[in-house]
Amino acid sequence: MQNQYRLGIDAGGTFTDFILADRDGGVRIFKVLSTPQDPTLAIRNGLKLIEDEAGITARQIVSNADLCINGTTVGLNALITHNGAKTGLIATAGHEDSIEIRLGHKEDGYRYDPDYPPATMLVPRYLRRGVRERVISTGAVNTPLNEDDVREACRHFLREGVESVAISFVWSVLHPEHELRAAEIVREMMPDVRLTVGSQLYPQVREYTRTSTAIVNAYLAPILQRYVEAVDGYFRGLGARQPVRYFQSNGGLALGSVVTDQSVYAINSGPASAPQAALYLGEPWGMKDIITVDMGGTSFDITLTRDGRANVSKNIDFLRYRIGIPMIQVETLGAGGGSIGWIDSMGLMQMGPQSAGSEPGPASYDQGGERPTTTDANLILGYLNPDGLVGGRLPLNVEKARAAIKTHLADPLGISVEKAAHGMFTIVNNNMVNAIRRVSVERGYDPRDFVLNCAGGATAAHITALAREMGIRKVLISKLASGLCAFGQIISDVKYNYMAPVAARLEGADTARRLDDLFGALEARGRRDLSGDGFAEERISIRRSLDMRYVGQVHECTVDVDPFAITEEALERLKAAFHARHEELYTYCERNSAVEVVNVESAITGRVDRPKPMHVAAGSGAHAALRGTRPMIFDAEGIGQDTPVYDGALLGAGDRIIGPAVIQEVTTTIVIEPGWSAELDATGVYVLTLGADAAAAVEAQQTEDA
Amino acid sequence: MTRRKVDPITLSVVRGVLETTQREMTLTLEQTARSSVFNLAHDYSTALFNHTPEMILQGQDIPIHLGSLIPAMKSVARFFDGDIHEGDLILHNDPAYGGSHIIDTCMYYPVFYQGELVFWTVCKGHLTDIGGPVPAGYNPNATEIYAEGLRIPPVKLWDKGKPRHDVMNLLLTNMRARRDQEGDFNALIGACQVGARNLRNLMDKYGKDVVQDCIAELLDMAEAHMRSLIARVPDGTYSGTAILEDAGHGFGDFEISATVTIQGDGCHIEITSPPQVPYFINSYEGNSYSGVYLGLMMFAQLPPPYNEGLYRCVSVDMGAKGTLCNAKSPAPHMNCTTTPMETLTDAVRLAFEQAAPDKVSASWGHANGCNIAGWDKRHDEEYVTMVLASIISGAGATASQDGWHACGPECCFGALTSGDIEMLEHSYPIIIHKYGLMEDSGGAGKFRGGSGTVWEVEPLDTPMTLVTFGEGRRIPAMGAAGAKSTLIDRKVGRLEVTRGGETQIITDNVIETIQPGERAANKNPGGGGYGNPYERDVLKVVEDVRNGLVSIEGARLDYGVVISDPDALTVDHDATRALRAA
Repeated sequence: MQNQYRLGIDAGGTFTDFILADRDGGVRIFKVLSTPQDPTLAIRNGLKLIEDEAGITARQIVSNADLCINGTTVGLNALITHNGAKTGLIATAGHEDSIEIRLGHKEDGYRYDPDYPPATMLVPRYLRRGVRERVISTGAVNTPLNEDDVREACRHFLREGVESVAISFVWSVLHPEHELRAAEIVREMMPDVRLTVGSQLYPQVREYTRTSTAIVNAYLAPILQRYVEAVDGYFRGLGARQPVRYFQSNGGLALGSVVTDQSVYAINSGPASAPQAALYLGEPWGMKDIITVDMGGTSFDITLTRDGRANVSKNIDFLRYRIGIPMIQVETLGAGGGSIGWIDSMGLMQMGPQSAGSEPGPASYDQGGERPTTTDANLILGYLNPDGLVGGRLPLNVEKARAAIKTHLADPLGISVEKAAHGMFTIVNNNMVNAIRRVSVERGYDPRDFVLNCAGGATAAHITALAREMGIRKVLISKLASGLCAFGQIISDVKYNYMAPVAARLEGADTARRLDDLFGALEARGRRDLSGDGFAEERISIRRSLDMRYVGQVHECTVDVDPFAITEEALERLKAAFHARHEELYTYCERNSAVEVVNVESAITGRVDRPKPMHVAAGSGAHAALRGTRPMIFDAEGIGQDTPVYDGALLGAGDRIIGPAVIQEVTTTIVIEPGWSAELDATGVYVLTLGADAAAAVEAQQTEDA
Repeated sequence: MTRRKVDPITLSVVRGVLETTQREMTLTLEQTARSSVFNLAHDYSTALFNHTPEMILQGQDIPIHLGSLIPAMKSVARFFDGDIHEGDLILHNDPAYGGSHIIDTCMYYPVFYQGELVFWTVCKGHLTDIGGPVPAGYNPNATEIYAEGLRIPPVKLWDKGKPRHDVMNLLLTNMRARRDQEGDFNALIGACQVGARNLRNLMDKYGKDVVQDCIAELLDMAEAHMRSLIARVPDGTYSGTAILEDAGHGFGDFEISATVTIQGDGCHIEITSPPQVPYFINSYEGNSYSGVYLGLMMFAQLPPPYNEGLYRCVSVDMGAKGTLCNAKSPAPHMNCTTTPMETLTDAVRLAFEQAAPDKVSASWGHANGCNIAGWDKRHDEEYVTMVLASIISGAGATASQDGWHACGPECCFGALTSGDIEMLEHSYPIIIHKYGLMEDSGGAGKFRGGSGTVWEVEPLDTPMTLVTFGEGRRIPAMGAAGAKSTLIDRKVGRLEVTRGGETQIITDNVIETIQPGERAANKNPGGGGYGNPYERDVLKVVEDVRNGLVSIEGARLDYGVVISDPDALTVDHDATRALRAA
């Protein structure tokens, strides 16, 4: 990083986080309220706040920054509120409805629910037009494109005032010519609309996924376009040296023009930077297998890296819309500080997914909330400081918390308030553990082999309990944890994905040559795009993945490989990697069965220089930071014990704390359960360790104290 | 209600682990299965049983599979009573032992802990073939079960951990598309293993006794819940009768009746059906439980999780042995999971409509589908499959909203998926020319039934055998709360075969050969409507017309809405008022 600053701006549902890193390793977090009606307003507000608090003007920052990075939720919000552009679909005649048939399925969990509504159609049926054309599974043309049908569709769209058009034909991935010709006609007749072409956006087999992805993209493109134009213009006006980079759900940065054309890549970008941040934090210890959990007010996001690579999802339902493009796998659970504890119709205690949100908030906020929440439980357990959160700016009312838990949970179940509070804590943790299985066990990974990394403001109170439940023995908590995703964005690289369908059995010199040529062509495009964006050859790196399966299976499993020349001999390496992955995932493999490859993808990355790591001066022992004790409950029966409380701001590098203890940071509270020890590293990361290691730490401390 | 022997917190945790276990079993099946019926269509189910064996968790999978797993599991455990060992794995499909139809194959894995049988992990899946004279098993000409395929009474596939290759080979040798069947067996076994692993971990953590106590409590709680729902219904006897149309057997229409007697917090359901027939629409008792329980759940409308405790307060008399809904060997039965099951479900639903009119929703479209088979020149091998995309019908409307389009049939209640068009064309040598919603197919009502679908296919380059099954080709899905349709023929299913420019409409179950260049379009019924269609908001009717879900003619005949300008969709309000008042 050559210049004075790097600026990251990450819009979230409630807050927009600003991260300002400087050349000397200083990293500061600022938070303003998000402004979903006018997202650029929050950006102006935040820069104003930085000027007020740090005395640096927006112009000074932007004109002296090597990069300004923005993670935006405008696309996500438009999808949640169904406020995207008026969109038309041109489809193969006979297949206009695949998007509404949705594979004939109703989501699990609502089987007998008479009130659960169907998904809202982003493109209603009258704006879906079939045209006569057909390519078949061999790639041959069965019916040539009827261009008059395309023109008729355009005339219809013009009459209806459509702003954005998606084109998606059956088997277009094997023969894109029909879609491309239809696109020419649309451009000619509707020069002002935004256009999404299925085979270009997501060139992979599966018509429903491709069409749905194209529709979501088309629906959001005009929204992203307006946003990007406003933000780019604003930063240009402040003297930006480089165009603003936008954070994508694939975990990488992109130019504004790219997130406009491929707006679907922008939809769940917020939590997608967590793996990058996790790897950065773990680097000094060589940690590459990390699960990151991020608990906010209403939701809990989980991501995972294995061997330094983040889990990637393709072909998933996101907000009830099928999306194909590779996104960092983010599992989200309705569990947060505001999650409400309740007793269901069977008589069982449950936590969430309903949330008290920030209005009225937990009962202890004393803003009219009557229902007991996770935050209320943590307060009764003594984990949270009754003087208040965020350095005392938000005082907590213990009596309100107690009354809410008593009325709604403890009395009906016939148990004490303390036991009920510990039960709430346990149940919400178990919900989270079950969700963590979706990124680990369901992906063939044993969570016990991982380090747990803590992101978000509310997580640290639960982190050692979560680790204990999962059998994890090491935990990382950065001093930047409450803004970790924004931090992850400013240390991310530019990244684009290039895909092609293959459909070939993994055997023979011809297949090897075809694969090699395909990868070669994809990667040549990638290099061209990145060098056009100013990346020198040595900054470009490539990762390949192949979707493979046994002949006859329908679901693929994705195998990651480093680039190498694909020869007939090298096919054996690919096969071996596939068998191993299948066994890891499903407990068995079939070494004698034929393997086929369906899709290939290259993820191409342009490396961006990292800012200097944070530096914490050496400490003189944890006792200097001891702020007294508080009774806390670590016991299922609700029995309390006096527990030391430390001020994180006074701890230095090398200082060690033995659990049970609590460390209070300004934006988070770290609960260290009995059996754990914590040590602050010079990079500003607390490393928590369980068990025998904790005993060793006690011994070390005693030696030190002596 | 307040007798708690177990810690309420542990109880919540155990429940969460059971649900996660079932989810991971289902995921394993989905991801590894080989045939499209499994892996594209999700025509499988998973469940967990305790040692008694009582079902302790029912997946949210196909409703028609799960009711029957309860008697099936009990039969299997009884069959091997005293001879169940660690490492055994049992396979079964025979309706004489509680199975549904023989193409649904069940795998039962006893989970031992410290040498003691504690749980069973169980899955059931629809194979693409089970041997017999007709590919995919649906033989409309069968007059006995022996002409439908292989009956498998409970048999050990593993004996104390040792796989019995001889038994597996015997089975596979009798089935078409052996590779698919073998892959699907592996998937079923894998799912049972995944479930067992999780349950053992659970017992490691909390101890066997605590886990068993929690499970007993969960069963009791479910029982109490269902009792409380039933107690709210006034005591009395309520009955419903539904008509099963003659789909080609020539015996005429049949009536199936259900009588529901509510007394306090208990409920007794009595089924009456005609004598069994030499045609594949007989249902053995196990399968009929599924149909009855589905009708009950349409009333109870409960969120998951589900366990057998729900049914403790419900007793069922399936009628005399040898009747359509309580068949005895050797009655042919292959069609039973859809026909007569959906009619049986309707009869139970109608009885509950009398008992609890505030909780009623309309019937869903019945299954009317096809199986296809032939030779795949691309790989030089035979292919055979049930086409789930061909049975996707409309859902019934409810008291609060229109029915979902393309979500049925009733016996699956949205649990199926029909599979991606490109994946189907990749797996089988076919061209799917159309897969879409059908105009005017949703039942008319204040809330409209969901639209049915049309699925039109042409073989790629070899002749294709097409076997149809089901019904719903003359009688539309029944509405609720006074719904009534006028344009009936658009709301029912049928097969349309087009050869040389001529289209033949077929409403019986048949075996047809379709040549390349010819097309078969299978149409599925829409769902029933809810409430008086003349009370439907005029703007909603216009919106349906704009979207091609209701025709201008349908607007007038079904909804009493007169549209005077077909382009601008202007409504003649005076004419509409007059028509609706008449």
